[in-house]
Amino acid sequence: MSRKMILRVPKFQEPKRMEKSEAQRLWLLLKDAIVEVQHMNASTLSFEELYRSSYSLVIAKRGDILYTGLEEVNNHHTKNLLDKIAQAVDERFLIELNSQWQQYKLQQIMIHDILMYLDRMYVKEPQLKVFDLGMFKWKQNVLIHSQINDRLVRMLLGLIHMERNGEVIDGALMKSLIQMYVDVSLKEKETYKQEFEERFLLATSHFYKSESNLFITNNSCGAYLKKVEIRLIEEEARIKQYLDESTGPKLIKACEDELIANHMQTMIEMETGCRTMIQNDRFNELKLMYRLFQRVENGLVHLKNEFAGYVRNEGHKIVNQPENLKDPNALITSLIEIRNRFEKTLSQSFANNRDFINSVNTAFESFLNENDKLSESLALFIDKKLRGGFKDSNDQEIDVIMNKVILLFRFLSDKDVFKKFYEHYLAKRLLSGRSFSEDLERTMISKFKQECGNQFTSKMEGMFTDMRLSKDALDGFKNYLQTSVEMGKLPKIDMSVRVLTQGFWPTFPPHSCTLPPLLSQYCDLFTKYYCHAHTGRRIIWQTNIGTAEVTFRLPKKTHVLALSTYQMLIMLLFNDAEKLSLKQMAAGTSISFMDIQRSVKPLYSGKYKVLKRTPAVEKSKELSENDIFELNLNLKCKLHRIKFAATSQTDSEPERQHTRQRVDEDRKIEIDAAIVRIMKSRKALIHNDLIVECTKQLSSRFVPQTSMIKKRIENLIEREYLERFPDDRRRYRYLA
Amino acid sequence: DLKNLFQNQNKNEKESYFDFEIICEQNKTSFKTHKSILSSRSQYFKSLFKSKMKEYQENKLILKDVSSSILFPILNYLYSGKIKINSENAIQILIFSSKYLIDDLIKICSNFIKKNL
Repeated sequence: MSRKMILRVPKFQEPKRMEKSEAQRLWLLLKDAIVEVQHMNASTLSFEELYRSSYSLVIAKRGDILYTGLEEVNNHHTKNLLDKIAQAVDERFLIELNSQWQQYKLQQIMIHDILMYLDRMYVKEPQLKVFDLGMFKWKQNVLIHSQINDRLVRMLLGLIHMERNGEVIDGALMKSLIQMYVDVSLKEKETYKQEFEERFLLATSHFYKSESNLFITNNSCGAYLKKVEIRLIEEEARIKQYLDESTGPKLIKACEDELIANHMQTMIEMETGCRTMIQNDRFNELKLMYRLFQRVENGLVHLKNEFAGYVRNEGHKIVNQPENLKDPNALITSLIEIRNRFEKTLSQSFANNRDFINSVNTAFESFLNENDKLSESLALFIDKKLRGGFKDSNDQEIDVIMNKVILLFRFLSDKDVFKKFYEHYLAKRLLSGRSFSEDLERTMISKFKQECGNQFTSKMEGMFTDMRLSKDALDGFKNYLQTSVEMGKLPKIDMSVRVLTQGFWPTFPPHSCTLPPLLSQYCDLFTKYYCHAHTGRRIIWQTNIGTAEVTFRLPKKTHVLALSTYQMLIMLLFNDAEKLSLKQMAAGTSISFMDIQRSVKPLYSGKYKVLKRTPAVEKSKELSENDIFELNLNLKCKLHRIKFAATSQTDSEPERQHTRQRVDEDRKIEIDAAIVRIMKSRKALIHNDLIVECTKQLSSRFVPQTSMIKKRIENLIEREYLERFPDDRRRYRYLA
Repeated sequence: DLKNLFQNQNKNEKESYFDFEIICEQNKTSFKTHKSILSSRSQYFKSLFKSKMKEYQENKLILKDVSSSILFPILNYLYSGKIKINSENAIQILIFSSKYLIDDLIKICSNFIKKNL
């Protein structure tokens, strides 16, 4: 800017040094006005005049006169008010105090407004601001005065006590008086905290301590929980209504401590408490308990432990109940039932809390593995379902059951045992054609696959492939027979063969028997055909798991008997004999005596008896090799086709033993493989570490016994896969 | 902005709903204003009205040590937020706004003075 600006300074008036008398005059003017304000007579005063006076004093550096003067006026005024208030009796006291306080507060706002210039331009820390000065004087001379403070707090607490006992009190009055403590606090609500809050919290704890003790001894746990919830809601409302919000968390904590934390053990143990609620599926009460316990430290841990303990106990009862031990179906059904029941409790009462679910699962794991029969029972349960037990269920129900099976399966520590049994029963279902639906079989297997991966189900899937390929092979064989020259010489029989790949199927204990010439000729033909089509394969006949249909001609009627291969062999012997002893049967068929016993039993002791014992012996179960049987020519049966069980029991003890043995064999291999795998990567390892590592690797399939791992290590040392360090016998080294 | 509301001192008096008068004693001039505007723009006026003292009762404020040539632009500023500061009035306006604690105007004046000193 080129043009030079000249600031126009108004004709400078030498500020007249303010005379003391002038300052005094202005102060007296203000003082009179303040007194008028304190007597609520402000309407005739000129705001501008007062403002100007205060301004003049401050710019003349006479603010001190004004500030100290104000302090004195406030001091005087509050002391007068104290006498007035202290004289009020009973309820008048609170009302008088409150009305004086409300007026005082308004006056202080007005004084602050008049003295705004003083407040802004003169007051410096640590001096109090004009309004704060007023508050401080009230606090000093009225509120914490011995004639007021204690009386006020006692009355306030008395009113709160009355309200807690159901009486109606003046909430607005409470709010105003309690807020007074906050208003006079200069920083961090210190007056409120010291003079009121502390005593209030103490009174609260006292009140709820005695109330809760009395209530819980005279009421049920459910009623107590409801009471607690109502009390907590009331206290929340109290905070909003007349307490300072900073008290909220402390008040609620005090209530929770007295009402919940101090009575948790009682609420769990009392007759109507947590245990009973769990036992009787009182979902709503448990839900309330969960909600309340959640509020206090460690509350849920108590509840969770109690629940998990109950679950473990119930599970333990089920897996050890004698009836359940005999009946796998009942056992698994009850387990699924309690699982459902506890899942319902978890979802309805415990908000599906992760910790709760985990502890229930841990409980299941522990009781399900208490009993080494569970793997087999579960396999049997599914077997029954897949043999037709699902007949009356819809897809959705089936899916639910299957998922429960998977769930229980997940808890098993010996999954390999289960797998063996499952394969065993699956093989039986497939070979005897008793599977209800291939779709369902495959669904079940796919669920196991999802759970455990390919390796777990590869054999099972192999079985299905075998079944399909067998059908193709059989069709081919039938074509071959029609074109074969040898065919003309043989009487026609309808033979069906299944080719099972070794390894996919459970190994059936080898049994030998002598087939009738006709059958063995057919077998030879099949072997010839099959080995021609698939070079390099070897066929081993497993006659013991076959079935046969035999025509049974009675004098008046003809039946078709559906029998096992063994039973067929036995029955065929009667073509040439009227009576046979078991010993003779065994000799005629080359079947072991034990298998003869088991095969004969259904034939003479079932609903339809094609054999009879001679002489008839009542209720004698034990068969001896000299017992003699003959055909029952008086058989009465409306059915044309009669089906017989292959053996007397679903599964015999030896067979089960056999399965167990095979599991042990497999485990040895698995443990060997695990040890070698670990040692190969680690080269050297201390004994204990090796055991731990090995157990960890195998835990998804089974829990190996330490003794077994030890034996395998010994064995591997013998086979020179490992060696001990010469200087430290507890360490092993891998030998490449 | 609300400049016109204040500047049309004599026109449309009925439609302007003036409810408060400010008198400059020096020049015997008066300005018609609105309580709501003044109180929303200045803490001084807010407190003045809130106090319900004489000025509030009489709807009239008498100012002693200010001339209308200074008061007009200041009132206009309270209405419009705009003010023309020049070397003539800068110091007077600064004095007035300091006295009545009009913080933003204090800043405008002192910036002007700093620049032109």
